[in-house]
Amino acid sequence: MVGLRSIALVTGVLLGAAPASAQDLAIRCAKVLTMNAADDIHAPGMVLVEDGKITYVGSPIELPDGVEVVDYEGGWAVPGFVDLHTHIHTGGWGDINDMVRSVNPDLRACGTVRANNRAIQIACSAGVTTLFGIPGSGTNIGGFGVLYKSKANPQYEKVVIADVGGMKVAQDSNPQRRAGNFAFGNNRASMGWILEDVADRALGALREDRFDPSLENLKKVMSRELPVLIHTAGSEGVLNTAQMWHLKYGTRCVISHGSFDGWKSAPQLAEWGVPVNHGPRTMDFYSSANGRINGTSAEFAAAGVPDFSLNTDSGVIPQEEFFLQGSMSARLGGDSYLMLRAMTIHPAKTFGLADRVGSFEVGKDADVVVHTGDPIDPRSHVLRVWIEGRSEYEYRQGQQRF
Amino acid sequence: MNDRRSHRSPRSSEKSESGTAWLRGVLMGAVAACGLAAAASAGDGDLPDGGTFAIKTDKALLCELRGTQTVDHAVLLVEDGRIAAIGPESEVELPEGCEVLDVGASWLMPGMIDLHSHVGGLRGYNDMVFQLNPGLRVSATVRPGNANLARPLAAGITTILYIPGSGTNIGGQGILMKTYEGAFDDINVRNPGSLKVAQGDNPKRWAYGMQRTLMNHHIRHSMRQGKAYAQRWEAHERGDAPTPERHINLDVYRDLLAEEIGISTHTQYYQVVLSTLRILRMEFGFPTFIDHGSFDSWRLGEVAAEIGVPAILGPREVMWPTNPLRFPQDGRAEGSAWGFQKTGVELVGFNTDAGVLPQEELPLQSAMGVRYGFDNSNMAAVRGITIVPAIVCGQGDDLGSLEVGKLADLVVITGDPSDPRSSVELVWVGGKLVYEQPEGVRLW
Repeated sequence: MVGLRSIALVTGVLLGAAPASAQDLAIRCAKVLTMNAADDIHAPGMVLVEDGKITYVGSPIELPDGVEVVDYEGGWAVPGFVDLHTHIHTGGWGDINDMVRSVNPDLRACGTVRANNRAIQIACSAGVTTLFGIPGSGTNIGGFGVLYKSKANPQYEKVVIADVGGMKVAQDSNPQRRAGNFAFGNNRASMGWILEDVADRALGALREDRFDPSLENLKKVMSRELPVLIHTAGSEGVLNTAQMWHLKYGTRCVISHGSFDGWKSAPQLAEWGVPVNHGPRTMDFYSSANGRINGTSAEFAAAGVPDFSLNTDSGVIPQEEFFLQGSMSARLGGDSYLMLRAMTIHPAKTFGLADRVGSFEVGKDADVVVHTGDPIDPRSHVLRVWIEGRSEYEYRQGQQRF
Repeated sequence: MNDRRSHRSPRSSEKSESGTAWLRGVLMGAVAACGLAAAASAGDGDLPDGGTFAIKTDKALLCELRGTQTVDHAVLLVEDGRIAAIGPESEVELPEGCEVLDVGASWLMPGMIDLHSHVGGLRGYNDMVFQLNPGLRVSATVRPGNANLARPLAAGITTILYIPGSGTNIGGQGILMKTYEGAFDDINVRNPGSLKVAQGDNPKRWAYGMQRTLMNHHIRHSMRQGKAYAQRWEAHERGDAPTPERHINLDVYRDLLAEEIGISTHTQYYQVVLSTLRILRMEFGFPTFIDHGSFDSWRLGEVAAEIGVPAILGPREVMWPTNPLRFPQDGRAEGSAWGFQKTGVELVGFNTDAGVLPQEELPLQSAMGVRYGFDNSNMAAVRGITIVPAIVCGQGDDLGSLEVGKLADLVVITGDPSDPRSSVELVWVGGKLVYEQPEGVRLW
């Protein structure tokens, strides 16, 4: 890109053209879905990129010579997807679920990242560009996740957004199976006690301004500097979790999963203003015991939880099938377009990333994905992915990666 | 019927409000317009159920193997459980007093068919005491309308080939059956429906040290016995030989030799599919289809096409370039359907291996095939779950497309079946109404 930009600059100087000549790139598509607050859709539309950032979004404009224009007639440009619940950062080498202790607020996933691993490459070719790579749910506090992009770059420093992007808590089901402090018989009440115990210790350290190497990051959660993503399942677990982390501690907590009949707690979550990051199970046949198939995404969205978002829990669901979470949510009553927001701007807002990713707005990262059609239709596929203005994947006939 | 234009339906914009309630209103209107007592034959007076009736739709997917795929503003006439007429509204003559259901903007299509399913009963379909079980019949485990068939029926899947598992080299005989709840004789389409052979990896687990050369030997051994047995019966039936001794373990080979059924073959890599083609089809001449056909097996597509072996693909229908030593593919993902299609196999279909994948997600298998490069410009994805499996299981005269004379296995769906956002509203089997989407309640 550096080379290209310098060519453009030289051309610009020669022509004495307007500042627009400094653009790296102009992307022109049949449809540009901005995902901004006004839900602007430009058809046709154009995105201009300079130094990896977006400098213009709107209807196609005249450009001076020397600007690289990429034209996808019929293509749909959509912001790169943001998945807040993923486990592919180690690329199949394990290392996502240290289960020696029940609470691990001192562990960090960033040390286990294999940048540009195969799973990340495929995620990129499916338009997933920002990921929160987190520890598993084998313990009550798995540790701190890493925020990164799916660039085709093997250098960790080039792909990472934040070494410590937020905390992972698991407050239902899975941690009941592990040994830990309480071993066999560890149930929800004791898990709650374990979590409150460590949270109170972090609050104490915060109050007394005491340095504690094992609690420094947890202190940032308690002071709302960092968000916390919480693995939880059915409705009673969801409410229990929200009461603790939202009402009692006032953290930036995000309910993850909220599966089975978890949607029944949606009106209460909406009232409290607790965001939900739903999936990978987005439907319920039986737990809700009402004789129908329940489209749980539609229920959460209808209840009005703030910034409803989707996840894959990859590799529980393949990372590249993130779009399909939206499709199936739409099948079962959700609004197609809202489900696109649930994979772009909503998760970005939930995790405080909305100044960088999740929508096409001037000044944000140029994470642009061009699909052959509606990204939520499985028959569409990705034509091109730019991350921060750099081309990371390009579809060629017979050579597609997903 | 002269007044059939007098009761056009509300359009889709009106129906989204209240599920299928609009259908009732329309039909009642139709009956009233006809001025007949037709309501008496339609159960609660709701929807046509048996007898003679017609369905009007903005779009009918015919799913003929070749030729016309869609008819806009179509009418389909059902008489005695079969399709009596299908065509543009202007060309179909309806009998006097015929009950007409106008489904408006919803699409009409044939019932979908899955040739690799394990949900026709509740367990017990994978006997693994012996490695070769050509005499075992999975029909012994069928439970019509069991809980695992409710969602498939609500997804428009009307026919499945329920087959034994792949724990042994010859698992036994499958049964071709319907998914709705009925008496065994009603839901049984054909028993046996196929012979299940597994040449891939699963039967290796049958014993420590079991590898593919011994498995192939096993299969050939049974087939040689079976084919000789079937030929003795053929000679006897011609009057050329005395009555052979009966072996129930080999009877299924008589069906195979007569080409009344085929072999559903669990086969997945290049070298395994090569064994399938060479042993089952070339050496013994039995009707055979590739079931699974995953990984790099599409590279045998030209051979398969030449000797007439179809490919029913799934549930793994894409190969990732994870092991470049075993599968050199220049870093790309390869779709099985893409591969078999481009190497000239005409009969390419899809399966779920339910419950490996949920039975109701059969249309999604075809949609993902398209994503991975399968050319869908002429609706091949829909044919791959309708007419292709119908032909492959020998039911091409009865099932799989909207053609005159075929059974009225009909599905009314809100849009393209390959789009997961489409949902099924109504299902008939043999002209009998077997599913109506409950009002405001999605079952799938």
